[in-house]
Amino acid sequence: MIFASKAFFVFLPAVLVLYHLLRGTGHKYRVLLGASWLFYAWLSPQYLWVILLCTAIDYAAALKIEATPDDPGRRRWLLLSIAANLGLLFAFKYTAFAADNAIELVRLFGLPAPDRTWDILLPLGISFHTFQGISYTVDVYRRQIAAVRSFRDYALFVAFFPQLAAGPIVRAVEFLPQMTTPPGVSAKQVADGLHLFLGGLFKKLFLADTLDQLFVSPVFADPAAYDPTAHRWACVAWAAQIYCDFSGYSDMAMGCAKWFGFELPANFDRPYLATSITDFWRRWHLSLSTWLRDYVYFPLGGSRGGPVRTYANLMAVFVMCGLWHGATWAWLVYGLYNGVLMSLHRAWDVWLRSGRAGGVSPLMNHIRETWAWKLVAWAGTFWLVTAGLILIRMPSWDAGGVLFQSLLGVDLLSGWSAAVPVWVPLFLAGIAAGHLLGGRWPVPAAVRAAAGVGMVVLLVVLGPGVGKTFIYLAF
Amino acid sequence: MPQTDTRTPRPALAPSRLPAEAPELVRVTVVTAPEPPTHPAGFLRRNRTVVLFAVLLVLTDRAVGWFAATWDRHSPDEYTARVEGCARRPRDVVFVGGSPVAEGIDPAVIAGITVGGKPAESVYAVGLSGGTTSDFYHGVLRACPSPPRLLVYGITASDLNDSRHEPHGPYSLMTWGDLRRWVRLRPEAGGWVTRHFLKARLGQASDLYRYRHGMRMWAATEADRVMPGCCPEAKREADELRGRADALRDGDGYVPAAGYSVGRYDGIKAAGREPGPFSYLDKYHTGSHLKYLYKLREWCAERGTQLVLIDMPVTADLEAKYPAAWAEYRDRLAGLEHDCGLRVVRATREAVGLGDEHFADLIHLNRDGAAKLSGWVRGALERDAR
Repeated sequence: MIFASKAFFVFLPAVLVLYHLLRGTGHKYRVLLGASWLFYAWLSPQYLWVILLCTAIDYAAALKIEATPDDPGRRRWLLLSIAANLGLLFAFKYTAFAADNAIELVRLFGLPAPDRTWDILLPLGISFHTFQGISYTVDVYRRQIAAVRSFRDYALFVAFFPQLAAGPIVRAVEFLPQMTTPPGVSAKQVADGLHLFLGGLFKKLFLADTLDQLFVSPVFADPAAYDPTAHRWACVAWAAQIYCDFSGYSDMAMGCAKWFGFELPANFDRPYLATSITDFWRRWHLSLSTWLRDYVYFPLGGSRGGPVRTYANLMAVFVMCGLWHGATWAWLVYGLYNGVLMSLHRAWDVWLRSGRAGGVSPLMNHIRETWAWKLVAWAGTFWLVTAGLILIRMPSWDAGGVLFQSLLGVDLLSGWSAAVPVWVPLFLAGIAAGHLLGGRWPVPAAVRAAAGVGMVVLLVVLGPGVGKTFIYLAF
Repeated sequence: MPQTDTRTPRPALAPSRLPAEAPELVRVTVVTAPEPPTHPAGFLRRNRTVVLFAVLLVLTDRAVGWFAATWDRHSPDEYTARVEGCARRPRDVVFVGGSPVAEGIDPAVIAGITVGGKPAESVYAVGLSGGTTSDFYHGVLRACPSPPRLLVYGITASDLNDSRHEPHGPYSLMTWGDLRRWVRLRPEAGGWVTRHFLKARLGQASDLYRYRHGMRMWAATEADRVMPGCCPEAKREADELRGRADALRDGDGYVPAAGYSVGRYDGIKAAGREPGPFSYLDKYHTGSHLKYLYKLREWCAERGTQLVLIDMPVTADLEAKYPAAWAEYRDRLAGLEHDCGLRVVRATREAVGLGDEHFADLIHLNRDGAAKLSGWVRGALERDAR
C-alpha cells in the first residue's frame, strides 16, 4: 500500500478510529503493529517474513548484547545483527547487480556468459528498516539505550507504517521513549498532522507528478527531441520533482505519525537553499545523512585520522549513500560525485581556516559573509546538485551526456524555449517560494485551514490522478 | 511574561560513551511557556484549525454544487445528458440501446414516419454507450416520463452478455427503488450492483469530487482565454466536451463521436492493422440481463407503447470471431419473437446494404453507415405501420 492510493484512504481512517477507540496502551500498540504489518503485506505479502526475521534477530541480539558482560561476546551479537540486516539487504538489493557485473567481467575475458533472465523483487522499505535495526543494536552495544524488553514495542518501532516504506530512518532513541508515555494526541498534533499530510500529498500528487507528466518524463526519455534551454528547465524541474516527491512522503509520514501521537524527525530542511554541498547534505534526507555520519563515518575514524583518511572516509560514506539508493553504476557514480564534491569543499574550507591562504583568509572570511558571495555560493551549489541529479534519472549515459552538456552551456539570452510548458516555471516559482517563506512565520489557524482546503480543491480538480508510486519506495 | 532560559540542553538519553567524534552541541534558547490558564480552552478553540478546515471544506463543496450546470456543460455525464435530453419533452418515437444506436441511428432521418396513424414529429435516440439491457431499461424509465408511441430497442449480442457488469448504469440511472428491484430480479448480480450503486452515491455526496472533471475542463477553457495555448490538450478536450454537451441537450441524441464519424473499417483492414480487441462478447452467456427485456416489454404494454427490437448490424468479422455467442443471441431473439410475440426487425448487412466501408470498427457504423441504416429503419418502420 502506498500513501497516495485509494486503499490507503480507507486503511488510514479505519486504523485511526480503531486506535483511538481502544483503551489501554497494549491494545492500541497491538492494533498499530497489526496495521503496520498489514500495510507491509499489502505490497509485499511474500516478504512479510523478511521484516519479521529482521525484527526477531535484532530484538534478540540487543537483549543478548545487554546481558553479555564481556566485550568480545557483546561484539559477536552485534556482528550477528549487522550481518543479518546487511546480508538480507545485499541479497535482495545487490545480487542482480553483482550477477550482471560478473557476467560482463566473464565476457571481458572472451568467455561466453548468458544474459541474466531472473530478477529479484525488492521487499518494501528494506533499505530503511534494516538501517533502523542496525542503529538500534549499535546503540544498545554503545550503551546509549537499553534493550527493549517487549517484542511488541520493538516490532512496532521497526514496522510503524507511516515511516515503514520510505523513511525517515527513525532511531530507537527517537521513537522508543515515546512509547513509554501513554499514547495521546494533542489538538496541536492533529492540526500539525493535517497540515503536514495535506502539504505532503499536495507536493507529491500535484507538484511532483504534474511536473513529471508534463515535462520531466518526456524530456528525459528523449533529450534529442528538445533544445538545450528545455534541457536546463527539465533538469531544474527534475530537481524540484524529486524534492517534492520525497519530502512529500516524509511530510505525510510525519503527519500520519502525529495522528497516532508520535513525532518523527524532519527529513528535509529547505535543501535547495544550501550554499555549499556540505550544507546541502545537512538539509537533504537528514535521517540518512546523520545515520551514515553516526554509524559509518564516525566509526571509520571521521576526521581524526589525518587528511587522507578523512577524505577516504568521506568517499566511503558517499559511495555507500549512492549504493544505498540503488544498485546501479549510475547511483555509484552519484555517490562518488558527491564524495568528491564533499572532499573538495572540505579541502577548501580547511585551507581557508588553516591560515595557509595567508592574507587571503580574513578577507575571504569577510567576503563569505556577504550576500553577494552567498548568492554565488547558492547558485554554484544548486548547479552542482542539479547536475548530479541527472545521473539518477538519465535513461542512458549518452542521454545523460546530452543533458549535462546543456547544463554546462551558459546561454542567458535564450532562457526560454517554446518546448517548456508555461506551467513549469509557475510550479518552480511556487516551490521556490515555499523554500524561501516556509516555516518563517507562525501561520494563523484560518490561513492554515484555507490553505488546506485550497490544496484539496487543487488536488481533486487538477491533480494528474492517483497512481504514480513514490520515487523513494524503490530504494 | 514568558521566562527565557539560555542553556545547553542535555540529550534525552545521555550516552555513557560518546562516539569518536560527537556532533557539535547546539546552543539553544528555551522559552518556557506561561502558566496554563485556570480554565482550559474549549474543544472548538483548541481544535480551531481542524474545525475551520472541515467547515471551509463543506462550504466549498456546497459552493461547487451551485455551479453544477456550468461544470455539467464542460463535462457532461453522457448517460444523464442523454436521458435528460430525451425527457425534456414528450417524444413520439424513442430509440434505445448501446453505442450501435448512439453511432448508428440518426433520428432526423426517422422523424416524420407514421406511428399509430399519426406522424411522429419528435424522435430521440437514447444511445447509452457501453450499456447492457439492464441499463437500457433504467434509461427508458428516466428518459420517458411520458411514454412514447413507439419504443425501438436497437439490440445487439453484447447487450445480453451476463458476463458484463457495467457500472455506469447504477451510477447515473438508478434510484434506491431500482436497486431494490434489481436485487430481487437479478440476485446473482445483487452484490455487484449494490457495491457500485453505493460507491456512486458516495462519490456524488461531494460536489467537488462529482464535478471535478467539469471544473478541470472549465479551468482549461478559462486558462486558455487568459494565456492562449497554455494547455492545448485540455482545451481541445474541453471544447469537444462542451460541444457534445450542447448537442446532447438541444439535439435529438445523434452526436457521433469524432473517431467513429469518419472512421472506415475497410481502411483499417487495408492498412493491415488489427481491429482493437472486443471483450464484450467474452464468456458469453445470457439469461440474467434478459429479465430486463421482459420488464421493458411489460413497461411498454402497461403504457400502450409499441415495442420493436432492431437486431443491429455488425461486421462479418465480429460475427466470425464469436460464432457461438451470435448463435446463442439469435436463438434468444427467435425465442422472444415466437414465445413473447415481440416484433424483431433484422437489419442484416445484406438487407441494409452495408459493407466494411460503412463501419468505423468491428461494431460501430460511421456517418455514411448511420445514414444508410437510418434510412432503412425508417422504411422498415413505415412498412410495419402499413
